[in-house]
Amino acid sequence: MLLLAAFLLSACGSPTTNGDNPVKSAGVLRVGTEGVYSPFSYHDPATGQLVGYDVDVARAVAEKLGVKVEFVETPWDSIFAALEANRFDVVANEVTINAERKQKYDLSEPYSVGEGVVVTRANDNSIKTLDDLKGKVAAESATSNWSDVARKAGARVETVEGFTQAIKLLNQGRVDATINDSIAVYAYLAETGDTTVRIAGSVGEKSEQGFAARKNSGLLPDLNKALDELRDDGTLADISQKYLKANASGAPAAGTQAKPKSTWDLILESLGPLAKAAITKTIPLTVISFVIGLVIALAVALARLSSNLVLTNVARFYISIIRGTPLLVQLFIVFYALPELGVKIDPFPAAVIAFSLNVGGYAAEIIRSAIQSIPKGQWEAAETIGLNYVGALRRIVLPQATRVAVPPLSNTLISLVKDTSLASTILVTELLRQAQVIAAPTFEFFALYGTAAVYYWVICLVLSFGQSRVERRLERYVAR
Amino acid sequence: MTENRVVAEGVHKAFGDNEVLKGVSFTVAQGSATTIIGPSGSGKTTLLRALNALDVPDAGVIRVGEVELDFSKPVAKDQLRRYRAQSGFVFQSHNLFPHKTVLQNITEGPIFVQKRSKDEAEAEALELLQQVGLAEKRDQYPYQLSGGQQQRVGIARALALKPKVVLFDEPTSALDPELVGEVLSVIRDLAVEGWTLVIVTHEIQFAKQVSDQVLFTDRGVILEKGPPADVIGDPKEERTRQFLDRILNPL
Repeated sequence: MLLLAAFLLSACGSPTTNGDNPVKSAGVLRVGTEGVYSPFSYHDPATGQLVGYDVDVARAVAEKLGVKVEFVETPWDSIFAALEANRFDVVANEVTINAERKQKYDLSEPYSVGEGVVVTRANDNSIKTLDDLKGKVAAESATSNWSDVARKAGARVETVEGFTQAIKLLNQGRVDATINDSIAVYAYLAETGDTTVRIAGSVGEKSEQGFAARKNSGLLPDLNKALDELRDDGTLADISQKYLKANASGAPAAGTQAKPKSTWDLILESLGPLAKAAITKTIPLTVISFVIGLVIALAVALARLSSNLVLTNVARFYISIIRGTPLLVQLFIVFYALPELGVKIDPFPAAVIAFSLNVGGYAAEIIRSAIQSIPKGQWEAAETIGLNYVGALRRIVLPQATRVAVPPLSNTLISLVKDTSLASTILVTELLRQAQVIAAPTFEFFALYGTAAVYYWVICLVLSFGQSRVERRLERYVAR
Repeated sequence: MTENRVVAEGVHKAFGDNEVLKGVSFTVAQGSATTIIGPSGSGKTTLLRALNALDVPDAGVIRVGEVELDFSKPVAKDQLRRYRAQSGFVFQSHNLFPHKTVLQNITEGPIFVQKRSKDEAEAEALELLQQVGLAEKRDQYPYQLSGGQQQRVGIARALALKPKVVLFDEPTSALDPELVGEVLSVIRDLAVEGWTLVIVTHEIQFAKQVSDQVLFTDRGVILEKGPPADVIGDPKEERTRQFLDRILNPL
């Protein structure tokens, strides 16, 4: 395995040269990281700043290279897709070095070395070694290498968003174990004082973590040189001490500083940032996407109703695609797949495009059926007073169709409010993502997700209220 | 000599295999009232709708007001619109716009099609409402009116465009019997005032009293036409007699 890895490393090292480092010419190192993976990559609850072991190492490397650093926060499960889509230059997120990854990516020398350990509930004595995992349930990130380790040991793997969620599931008794890097586990135990879980045993595998870049990026020589210098001058050790509080192989230091905040304080402190995320991201995303979506929907509905066969079939096809594929996939296609065709769109506009197209497909059918519910006599009466097609549509048919369409369209709008949470997967720090960011260093997922849920509920309450007002207004000309 | 407001020559119309009009010709003199009677399915409504191009004929030449169209050739859209603008149309089921007030129903065409000023259009609409006896209903919505009142608003809406001919498609068929009278008296007043009217109706007495000309349609052709004293009072055709007999003595 090692031989193979070494072979691959040398094989892929050859085409790159030292001369063309794209990062140096751009003057900025773009770094992809989770932002919710304490203590490697998370937001300091006190300052809101992105910090962590990997984050600080990346900062130090950028400094050595003499370039600026720019962090792009990305969920772990789409971090490699984003790397390939050229959203950033390197991943700094405890990327474990293994043969498969080396085949696909440029991996730097390790900057953190740990050991895989099995974590279980403190009162669970049934698991002591990796072999004991057979038939048990383990929680792992879908794309992490620990997932493979657990599966090979015979465990059933539940896919989770990250380490903190895995610990949560373990605490709740939903899974039996999680395998992760000893460094992460020690940091968690030290930070939370959690005594309900413990390290049950080692999986007997050293893990080395480094930066990942696109294949043939030309970055490796400079990255490795910078890491060597940082290791030699003691910077890496300092950063490690700062975030991991103990050396990687030792036991956690007892009685750390600053006692954890109460859940209530945490919720209170989160109200502001969550409101900001709702007002600056979730609500604009909803409103803009809905308005553009309605325009698309009207055009598609009219195309669907037209006598032109080509138009009708194009509209049918569009509606069928939008309704027949998951919204999450549509988001990924706009954000991750289009860059491969040379179309790179920023997260927010990408989300707007995907949501607008989605709303367009669903609302088109609502608008079509609303238009068809208006009696033929209304079109004829409009014709006899001399209105043309557009005039009849705008002045006579659409105002009446609106009344029919408002209740189902309100449903679409309210669904959209909650669907915008999917934008968190394409780097938009909207309400849900903000809750994740705040929850990550504290492990208080329930409290933060609950708070976010209340925000969504309030937005939807306001919309429902608006819906009944609009309906009442539109019904003023209908017999009661 | 009075000018003709409608001249129709050899009008044909088929819906699929069903030939509804099989070569129909007639004229309507300016200021006259013409009623079209006949059994159901005889083509009388299709004939009326052809005059407003709600159903576009397959063949034949029709002049309405100042616009003459030859339907055996393709007709351009703007020509069709000019043709349509020559006549006003009153529907059996009134087809008022439910989301607009009585006044807005009447001024919609004058303001948004004929581009006349709002003040002028509203003043004229009020006059028309007075004429049909509904001035006080100007700001009500159609659902607040009785069937007869709705139909009278429908008439006012057709008149507001100042058409050369007003077309009525069974204007009282959808009404309760006690409301028929108020609508017929409005139409009779229009005839007296000198509007040119073409009315499809089952009200034989009304046709007798009001019209200058009666057309009896049967199986896609005009079987008999002439003054009401002839067609209704002394029909020449056996089928006309049978039809009138069925209507006047239903038992």
